[in-house]
Amino acid sequence: MIVGTRKPLAEIQGMVAGARRLLVAGCDTCVAECVAGGRREVAELSAALMMASRMAGRQVEIREASVDRQCIHEFLLEVVEAAQGAEAVLSLACGAGVQALAARLPHLPVFPALNTQFIGETAERGLWLENCRGCGDCLLGLTGGICPISRCAKSLLNGPCGGAVGGLCEINKAKKFDPEVPCAWLQIYDRLSALGQLERLTVLAPPKDWSRGEAGGPRRVLRPDQRP
Amino acid sequence: MREKPKVVILACQQALPDPEPLLQALEAAGLTARAVPEPCSSKIEAFHLLRILAVEADCVRVLACPEDACLLKEGSCRLGRRLKHAQEYLQEIGLEPERLEVTRLNPGEAVDLPRLAADLAGVALTLGLNPGRRRVQEKEPQK
Repeated sequence: MIVGTRKPLAEIQGMVAGARRLLVAGCDTCVAECVAGGRREVAELSAALMMASRMAGRQVEIREASVDRQCIHEFLLEVVEAAQGAEAVLSLACGAGVQALAARLPHLPVFPALNTQFIGETAERGLWLENCRGCGDCLLGLTGGICPISRCAKSLLNGPCGGAVGGLCEINKAKKFDPEVPCAWLQIYDRLSALGQLERLTVLAPPKDWSRGEAGGPRRVLRPDQRP
Repeated sequence: MREKPKVVILACQQALPDPEPLLQALEAAGLTARAVPEPCSSKIEAFHLLRILAVEADCVRVLACPEDACLLKEGSCRLGRRLKHAQEYLQEIGLEPERLEVTRLNPGEAVDLPRLAADLAGVALTLGLNPGRRRVQEKEPQK
């Protein structure tokens, strides 16, 4: 899922400062799971903005709407309808959702309330970890299901680097992490050992074709069988 | 006539099964008060707290069980975290976080109502009216 975090309220207030009628739009899938942009967070932010605007001596009418996926146009109808009469829209979706909504509302400013962070997993309650970079050339089949691109601080293809201590990545020495960051390559070793596939580590990985990832420019997937 | 500060009490039914005497004591102390009975404080979300402040209250007080005496084990503990999250929002807005507070009451034990009412009234009267709250002349927001 896509993990996001709310922007500071002052930044959000700055973006929507001129709007007297505002729609706050949530997305009830990824960003709801990471407690940043679902309908609960829409309600929190709306209440906070209402109070902040009154304290600044301004009256702002705030509507709330939330849909299952802002990144899919068919799901956006409810938000588009709720946006009628609004002077601005504040979206609590990821960057993809904000842009899809903006495309459906060409005459309205659509602002992001979140900073989109990464593709990740819910590791524990309240802890989300980045574990996919969307590199376009998945290696998980070779590495026991643990991604060295996203989970190794150096994105090494032939690890470990030698800096790990006690199973932990050396990045913990440079920056405070809680919980500490494990060495992804030691995790890969343990996993392959449990699978009886340690011989995989004897094969050197060749240089990776990064052009399939974000280095290759804007990416798209075109499926002729799915086209209209 | 000068507007009285309004306190909304969210009362866990285990901690305070009957909030009516507390309401009477608060009104006698010069406040307007309303109570919302809750089956457990874990049912209270951060957005409930913020919405109540935005719409009707000058102060919100949650009456909850101590964290280690919660009927639902983690409920009271979760309430504490959600309340802190809502207080952080208030700090960002520039409102006093004391407008949202929790008082822990041991379930099944007699509550010192005069003392609780005096504490609540003291906080509400000191903080005064909530400048972020909807006033009577303002129209209802559309959902």
